[in-house]
Amino acid sequence: MSILQHILVYITVALALGYLVKKFLLPKSLFAGKKRSSKSCGDGDCGCH
Amino acid sequence: MSKQIKVALIGNPNTGKTSVFNQLTGLKQKVGNYPGITVEKKEGICKLPRGVKAHILDLPGTYSLNTTSLDESVVVELLLNKNDKDFPDVAVVISDVENLKRNLLLFTQIKDLKIPVILVINMADRMSRTGISLDIALLEEKLDTKIALVSTRKGTGIDRIKELIADYKNLSISPNVDTTVIAPDYFEKLKATFPKEDQYKLWLVITQDVNFMPIEKNPITITASFATKSKSELKRLQQKETILRYQFINGILKQAYKVDINAAKGLRATLDKILTHKIFGYAIFFIILLTIFQAIYDWSSYPMDFIDESFASASEWVKDTLPPGVFTNLIAEGILAGIGGIVIFIPQIAFLFLFIALLEESGYMSRVVFLMDKLMRPFGLSGKSVVPLISGTACAIPAIMATRTIENWKERLITILVTPFTTCSARLPVYLIIIALVIPEGRFLGLSYQALTLMLLYLMGFGAAIFSAMILNKIMKIKSKTFFVMEMPNYKLPLIKNVVYTVWEKTKSFVLGAGKIILAISIILWFLGSNGFSDDFANADEIVSEQIEEQGFSEFNKTNIESSMTAYKQALQDSIGKKTYVLDPVAISDSLRLKEMALIEKATNQEIASYKLENSYMGYMGKAIEPVVRPLGYDWKIGIAVLTSFAAREVFVGTLATIYSVGSDEEDTIKNRMAAEIDPRTKKPLFNLASGISLLLFYAFAMQCMSTLAIVKRETNTWKWPAAQLVFMSLFAYIVALIAYQILK
Repeated sequence: MSILQHILVYITVALALGYLVKKFLLPKSLFAGKKRSSKSCGDGDCGCH
Repeated sequence: MSKQIKVALIGNPNTGKTSVFNQLTGLKQKVGNYPGITVEKKEGICKLPRGVKAHILDLPGTYSLNTTSLDESVVVELLLNKNDKDFPDVAVVISDVENLKRNLLLFTQIKDLKIPVILVINMADRMSRTGISLDIALLEEKLDTKIALVSTRKGTGIDRIKELIADYKNLSISPNVDTTVIAPDYFEKLKATFPKEDQYKLWLVITQDVNFMPIEKNPITITASFATKSKSELKRLQQKETILRYQFINGILKQAYKVDINAAKGLRATLDKILTHKIFGYAIFFIILLTIFQAIYDWSSYPMDFIDESFASASEWVKDTLPPGVFTNLIAEGILAGIGGIVIFIPQIAFLFLFIALLEESGYMSRVVFLMDKLMRPFGLSGKSVVPLISGTACAIPAIMATRTIENWKERLITILVTPFTTCSARLPVYLIIIALVIPEGRFLGLSYQALTLMLLYLMGFGAAIFSAMILNKIMKIKSKTFFVMEMPNYKLPLIKNVVYTVWEKTKSFVLGAGKIILAISIILWFLGSNGFSDDFANADEIVSEQIEEQGFSEFNKTNIESSMTAYKQALQDSIGKKTYVLDPVAISDSLRLKEMALIEKATNQEIASYKLENSYMGYMGKAIEPVVRPLGYDWKIGIAVLTSFAAREVFVGTLATIYSVGSDEEDTIKNRMAAEIDPRTKKPLFNLASGISLLLFYAFAMQCMSTLAIVKRETNTWKWPAAQLVFMSLFAYIVALIAYQILK
């Protein structure tokens, strides 16, 4: 039972870490289909930069 | 599956577009962002007559197709791009019966793009009160469209919109205005250069200067055979186009739109006079803010306490019910604590957005913005920045979410970046305990030093926000339109449905957006604090038990056990003296023994927990950063608390409670323990005036809140800004705390 609990902990922590890595470190384009061109903004009043 | 009719809801701000959207779609709606930007995208499904369905897209409010902001450019880009999956089969332009003239400008522009358009004239219920009469048939004829007269307040006219959408194929797509007359030669050249393109569409592409797609604009600007006009010339032509459109609109409204001046009451004018008055306006706003604060601090404390207690009970239940072990501990202390840390913010978020929705729906918010704009503009902020900045004193998370009302991106970004400086309620537990420890009791002009310190910390937070805004305004190179055009919508009773939708959407987006990040970090923090690689960590139970056997408990626990036993004995004797209980000496002795055993067990567990934490990954991290925090007057224990409180500032007190093994985060107990802590290097109390002030200043300026960072990321759609915020605020806090400690030590 103790081993199972440890395994579950490691899985949960790995999932949490994986989620943060995916969210913060990996580029969004890996998960999103179509990406908006960053050059599409005119004078910068847009929040894309 | 039959094809759905694609409908775009378009209209000026404050025309009741969202109300129409809500009534068309009911609960079948989805809220998200447009790809790559943080403009809200609302879409839903509407059932039409004869079993047909429509996909409704609620586009951001815009005054015309000449864009000035990102929100507006979203509308133009969609209407000009036939390949966009959301390009509408029919556009529904929502207008307000009292501002029909201005609203029709947008209508005629969309009509000229040769898209089937339906005109919805909303707020029909106000017609009799304002003395307005309309000749709908004549308007339909002159504007070459179909019109639905609607009152979202009374729920009338919605079926007519549905019928018109279902019959959209019968709508005329002839343009209203011939724009080419403003510069015939220019348009001739344009036609010659791009014979296949629609001229009005080309004209719109050429005259946009905000957020435009290069694929659309570049072929025009780079074609050598077609020389574009200078910016100023284009602007002049744009003005001519607007005048031409208004001439067309005036001609129609002269015949079809009548206002009986005598019927129009002056209530709005009177209310405006009071609410935007130089003195009363501010006083009323101040009272309203006080009410909002009262709600966020006090009213939400009841549901927050309930949530807190529920999660504590759930945690206990998990520990008692599930088989003991590390995973059970993770659920009880990591996952449940993490979810609790998210859910506990819901009442504050809901209350804030309830008030914001009420203020916006009633039309009062526009008056506040008008009132505050003059004061805020020199600092690079807008009148609308006031609400986020002030609500940031309750919690920065809903405050940053509230910046979406600021249209200008630069002003919005500056507001997002500086809001975390304002003193949020999570800083309070830290402030209260440190102030109680290091600021002497005494009075100055009748005010206690401790209260003055607290007030000073609040003022410093607000000052830092304003000062940073001023600096950011100077150094940020984001071009933006700085003119101030404020529409004063009519006063109206807020629609409960819209208010509920707003509160629901904002709360949901917090829980699903930032909540997942907070939960993930909470799990990792728990893991780092509950695991270690050394033998000391693995054998903590035996090591601590041996230490207790050989050297006894720590001074604090010894004193605590003694004082608790003395108090217990006294209470027992008092009860016997008052004849509340009748006990024989054996029972008294048993009772005392049991009490002592319970206290010893508790103290042992606390010392084990403290030892484990010291030897955990987190403990090693605390010791690793000790050289960095030492110049600020902190030891490794405070270092750990600073590290863990990155999750949320209030965690600082809880972590110190664990480190000092007091087992409870009741303020008095920790305070006594912290006061008794001696710095082994200086042999003086660790928490003295210098280190205390240093800690206060550090927490006043540091970005110690992962939820805020998560929400800033969500609102700016990049990690660049939260990263810059974290680095700047942490460095600033470090330097200020360092200077304070080095001067005061």
